[in-house]
Amino acid sequence: MNTPKILVFSTEKISDPALDFAGLMKLHYPASVHAIVLPCSSSVRPEWIIHAFESGFKGVYIAADGSDCPYGESCIAKTAKIVERSHVLMKEKGIPTDRLRMAAVCSVCAEIFVKQINIFAEELNASLKKED
Amino acid sequence: MTKEQGNTGKRIGVYICRCGSNISDYVDVDTVCSEVAKEKNVRLARVMMFACADSAQKEIVADITNEPLDAIVVASCSPKLHLHTFRAVAERGGLNPFNYVQVNIREQSSWAHSDNPPQATEKAFNLIKAGIARVDLAEPLMPVTIPAENSVLILGAGVAGMRSAIELADLGSQVFLVEREFFVGGRVAQWGKMATTDQTGEEIVTALYNQIRTRKNIQVYTGAHIISSKGSIGNFNLQIKVVPRYVKPPCDPQGFRKAIEACPVIVDDEFNFGLTKRKAIFHNYKSEFPALPVIDMANCTRCGECLKHCTGINLDQKEEIIDIHAGTIFLATGFNPYEPRPGEFGFGELSNVITLQQLKRLLELSKGEFRFREKKIESIAFIYCVGSRQVDGDNKYCSRYCCTSAIHAALQLKQEFNVPVIYHLNKGIRTYGKQEVLYAQSSAAGDVYLQFVEDEPLLVEIYGEQAKITINDLLTAGQEITVTADLVVLVTGMVPRDNIDLNRILKVPIGKDKFYNEIHPKLRPVETVIDGLVISGCCQGPRNIHESVSSSLAAVAKVYTFINKGEIQLEPTLAIVNPDACEWCGLCLAACPFDAIQMVETGKGKIAQIIEGNCKGCGMCTPVCPTEAIDLKGFTNMEIRSMIEAMSG
Amino acid sequence: MEDILQDSSVKVADSLVVGGGIAGLEAALNLANTGQQVVVVEKDLSVGGRMIHLSKVFPTLDCSACITTPKVSEAARHPHINIITNCELKQISSDENSYWHVRLQINPRYVNESLCTGCQDCEEACPVVVRDEYQYNLVGRKAAFIPFSIASPRVAAIDIDNCILCGACEKACGPGAIDFSQEPVQTEWVVKSIIIATGFKLFDSDKIIRYGSGKFKNVLTAMQMERQLVPTRPFNTVLRPGDGKIPEKIAYVLCTGSRDESVGNPICSQICCMYSIKQAQLLLGALPMVDVTVYYLHIRAFGKGFDEFYQQAKMMDVNFIKGKVGRIRELENGDLVVRYEDIASGQVMEATYDLVVLSVGILPNMDVEKIAGLETLELDPFKFLNQRHEMTNPFKTNLPGIFMAGTASGPMDIPDSILSAGAVSALVNKYNKQLLETTVNSLEITSWND
Ligand SMILES: Cc1cc2nc3c(=O)[nH]c(=O)nc-3n(C[C@H](O)[C@H](O)[C@H](O)COP(=O)(O)OP(=O)(O)OC[C@H]3O[C@@H](n4cnc5c(N)ncnc54)[C@H](O)[C@@H]3O)c2cc1C
Ligand SMILES: Cc1cc2nc3c(=O)[nH]c(=O)nc-3n(C[C@H](O)[C@H](O)[C@H](O)COP(=O)(O)OP(=O)(O)OC[C@H]3O[C@@H](n4cnc5c(N)ncnc54)[C@H](O)[C@@H]3O)c2cc1C
Ligand code: SF4
Repeated sequence: MNTPKILVFSTEKISDPALDFAGLMKLHYPASVHAIVLPCSSSVRPEWIIHAFESGFKGVYIAADGSDCPYGESCIAKTAKIVERSHVLMKEKGIPTDRLRMAAVCSVCAEIFVKQINIFAEELNASLKKED
Repeated sequence: MTKEQGNTGKRIGVYICRCGSNISDYVDVDTVCSEVAKEKNVRLARVMMFACADSAQKEIVADITNEPLDAIVVASCSPKLHLHTFRAVAERGGLNPFNYVQVNIREQSSWAHSDNPPQATEKAFNLIKAGIARVDLAEPLMPVTIPAENSVLILGAGVAGMRSAIELADLGSQVFLVEREFFVGGRVAQWGKMATTDQTGEEIVTALYNQIRTRKNIQVYTGAHIISSKGSIGNFNLQIKVVPRYVKPPCDPQGFRKAIEACPVIVDDEFNFGLTKRKAIFHNYKSEFPALPVIDMANCTRCGECLKHCTGINLDQKEEIIDIHAGTIFLATGFNPYEPRPGEFGFGELSNVITLQQLKRLLELSKGEFRFREKKIESIAFIYCVGSRQVDGDNKYCSRYCCTSAIHAALQLKQEFNVPVIYHLNKGIRTYGKQEVLYAQSSAAGDVYLQFVEDEPLLVEIYGEQAKITINDLLTAGQEITVTADLVVLVTGMVPRDNIDLNRILKVPIGKDKFYNEIHPKLRPVETVIDGLVISGCCQGPRNIHESVSSSLAAVAKVYTFINKGEIQLEPTLAIVNPDACEWCGLCLAACPFDAIQMVETGKGKIAQIIEGNCKGCGMCTPVCPTEAIDLKGFTNMEIRSMIEAMSG
Repeated sequence: MEDILQDSSVKVADSLVVGGGIAGLEAALNLANTGQQVVVVEKDLSVGGRMIHLSKVFPTLDCSACITTPKVSEAARHPHINIITNCELKQISSDENSYWHVRLQINPRYVNESLCTGCQDCEEACPVVVRDEYQYNLVGRKAAFIPFSIASPRVAAIDIDNCILCGACEKACGPGAIDFSQEPVQTEWVVKSIIIATGFKLFDSDKIIRYGSGKFKNVLTAMQMERQLVPTRPFNTVLRPGDGKIPEKIAYVLCTGSRDESVGNPICSQICCMYSIKQAQLLLGALPMVDVTVYYLHIRAFGKGFDEFYQQAKMMDVNFIKGKVGRIRELENGDLVVRYEDIASGQVMEATYDLVVLSVGILPNMDVEKIAGLETLELDPFKFLNQRHEMTNPFKTNLPGIFMAGTASGPMDIPDSILSAGAVSALVNKYNKQLLETTVNSLEITSWND
């Protein structure tokens, strides 16, 4: 069975190291999960998220810096705001808002990341099947 | 080719690393390579055994000049390991380092998906396509240099902090040594005679402090802690708050002594871990630094008794806030000895159960005979790994120093105080390296070593005036053995210090074991993910003095490379404003956490402008711009959009 | 006797590093990055030391080559670092200005380094096969050879002791790099300071006759197992050398040559527990059905993440038996019977294995002692370099301007070796700076608590 394509926005210093760590520990998650690394989760443009859905991704996951953000605590609120704005755009385009997920992933949170992304993939699968 | 990719006509070289077999065991690199070679603008694609090996690097450099290539992509391990390696390769080939993109097909493909090689292969291919799309649009970027202040703020004046202060000062930096306590020396000041050289803590602290005093470029603050931090590597603006001592010279030592005698407030002396009492005006030991008592305002009743004996006392001293400008921040905030839970091996409930830190103080306070609560001690049982290597608790780690330190104390008890019977109830003794000799000496001196099984904890009970301990001894075939002893010493491990404020202000990264975390134990062992913030000594994890000092000197070497040139090269990935699109709404200014945006008037009107020295390249300003006028170099709108398309299939 | 050519020009650098293992390279890089000129002298044909030959490293399990090779190549191309391989120190003396004069001898590799492209054609042509010391004798190599795939420099050499002078390599070599006329060349360097980073020697397990090492084919040393586990491993899987069988039961004997007065080494080697636990985990990864048993006295999992790593091995069903191994016996089929005192039961027991790995310990490398002019260098009771002020002023020898890094000062793992190299670079930076600033008479640089 093919798992749905998920785009992850990870961050150079915080969440991407967790993704690396997951690999190092050989924790598995679907290979349909692809990450783009940015300096900070507050630099994700809502338009990119829409672009991802329009290009064929079924889910988008923002692996946020959370309170660990090296650029300061305002990151939490700003990333939340980005999700909010994306939801508005998604509704406009008729994309179910639960296709976008966001969670803080710390630099050693490999297990948490893998668990969450597996759950996300399963849920996406279920909802996509329903759609068919 | 993706929609976004223009017809750049760039000549791109792609290198796919086998990483020995780390990648090629799961990713079919040869197939990926032949597919990649068909991508637009790709002039050359090669598979390499170790792309990072010198010979491979040379090959890439040769390709860049011979082909010639305008841009390269290396698909290998995580860029956290080798981004700089290959940027340098690009540079040696004459390319701008930003015409290089690293694609992570090891941590994020071959290893993560080792359960599914065909899909790992497909993913690797998609990731490489995205890398090609990105490098195709990449612009050459020039590094930005900023001046770096040749000064260091060291937090913590334990051995690690003091030793590094001396070295940094001698290397020409201005050093601000900030200690939270009122006396310098950290934990070592408390230990008396120590493993493995038998030097005393007092000797060590005195020697270090005397060195610090002779250096004009070290400024020591005691009773001080950090309250705010702004800026970044090269230019941190920090504030520290200095709590008053309420005591100031001149006043003769006699006067001080009388003042202490006169003070009516009596509290537990935490320097002696509650074994003794002290006054509200106090000092710790005779040769303490600075050699000036202090009034502990939390307990002082302001009764004024001490004022009668000493003119140096001023109960109205005010705290001071001091601004410090430093190029780097050096953390040497140390550890706390583990404090057992009430009832843990009888601690707090049985009167003759103490901790190793208390024993070390008792040894210091004893002369000739070894007594505890008046009673002469004839037998002692050490229980090891208390608070470390916990089966149920959070502290899974071994505290490293304690076996050696306990055995060293046992030898001292035997040799100096003639304590005849000593038991060591342990989980396997870890006197690694040359410290092994102490273990051999102690066994030869007749100490009894019993080893208990990890999941069957010992039972400590009261037995007349003694303590009785029941143990299933591994060394005698699991027999149940009971030992009785006058004194039980819990060999406690190390835990991180409470430093909630500091951790919040500096955003120090914390590891699984709750100590401060380095970027990589082998590649960057003293650096943190925060540029310009280094860690050393026991705040990073349990260590003995030799190891704490080694790490602090290693951190000095790192700091020196940061600031000795007086300037630092910044990553050129900064924000950039397209003046034609900008309509100045001010949203970016509000979004920037670093005051890196200002409004300027141009012929056309008001627009935003980036202050490069302040910009940290976080990109927080980019999503808020309603006209997409602001972009982040190295992560441009175009680049990311084209990566999304390339990855999508 | 062969001629020794004298290069009469005297060369100058700030510091000389003896030994191009991880500690030496790290120190050289640290110094060079602050503008110091450094010359690295390596006895072997390649730099990288022991670490470049390891598989993965505990406790993070990252690939050893992936950490070493970038450092190696950064050092190799650093404008301030000059690496000289196949080179030995002959004499050291200090002058009236406290500078050190060092006589080096570069031995011939019979290959012109600048012409060799590392193509291995000579290797193919050479008819002589000898044991490959870089694979710890597990396989063979030619007399004309590239030491190992990730060697730096990756340049061929002729093993002249085994060469039959047939000339096949000369004919095969396209660029004409083979040069049998090379002679040893001596040069003199003047430096302010010297860092000794000559590493360690491994205990020679053949000395413990009871274990049958060197005699029984299926008794390996840990270093041989390390080579079977590297990505570029010789057999591409783990085999027992006796008959090429894939082992199903493997035993580790810890403390081989350590903590053992009978072999003259009373101290703990500090790394063997951890590398054995690491190898056990890697073996379980490579051969999922394998059974690994570790015979130990104490497990010294003391460093950051070590105890967790040990617990992880237990969870992976690595068998840990607290026991003293008395003797190893070989059966006709090559299997090995390990006779041991089981401490849990107090009984002497036996168990049979396909393969036994001896976790050999670390011994001091006494090379530097032999260099003329260094007779006054102090050693500690275990013959490692002595640190007079181990606690607060580590890694300094008793001679001003001579420092140490890595395992030259005692057993340690890679993280500690790297830290020591960092520490020593801070000390050397300061020493060099002060030697420049101070006049000869008021030399205070012997430092504060000497
Ligand atoms: C019972 C015991 C016995 C020991 N015996 C030995 C032995 O025999 N031999 C040996 O080699 N080692 C021994 N050790 C280990 C030794 O104590 C440590 O290696 C050493 O103290 C580490 O030094 P440090 O500077 O990293 O930390 P510390 O000694 O903890 O010093 C840290 C300093 O930072 C200060 N600080 C903390 N937070 C802040 C803040 N926010 N702002 C400013 N300042 C702050 C603290 O007040 C302290 O002064 C022993 C440890 C224990 C617990
Ligand atoms: C089987 C095994 C597995 C290991 N696994 C791990 C692991 O997983 N993790 C870990 O952290 N550590 C591990 N180690 C330990 C690790 O190998 C050492 O900590 C590390 O190699 C020490 O580096 P060094 O630079 O001090 O010495 P070395 O690596 O020994 O380097 C010394 C260098 O000096 C050169 N040299 C010697 N004498 C002279 C001379 N007279 N003149 C010039 N040059 C000279 C040598 O040729 C060598 O290149 C392992 C060790 C062994 C034996
Ligand atoms: S050093 Fe010894 S006492 Fe301390 S935690 Fe480790 S094993 Fe236990």
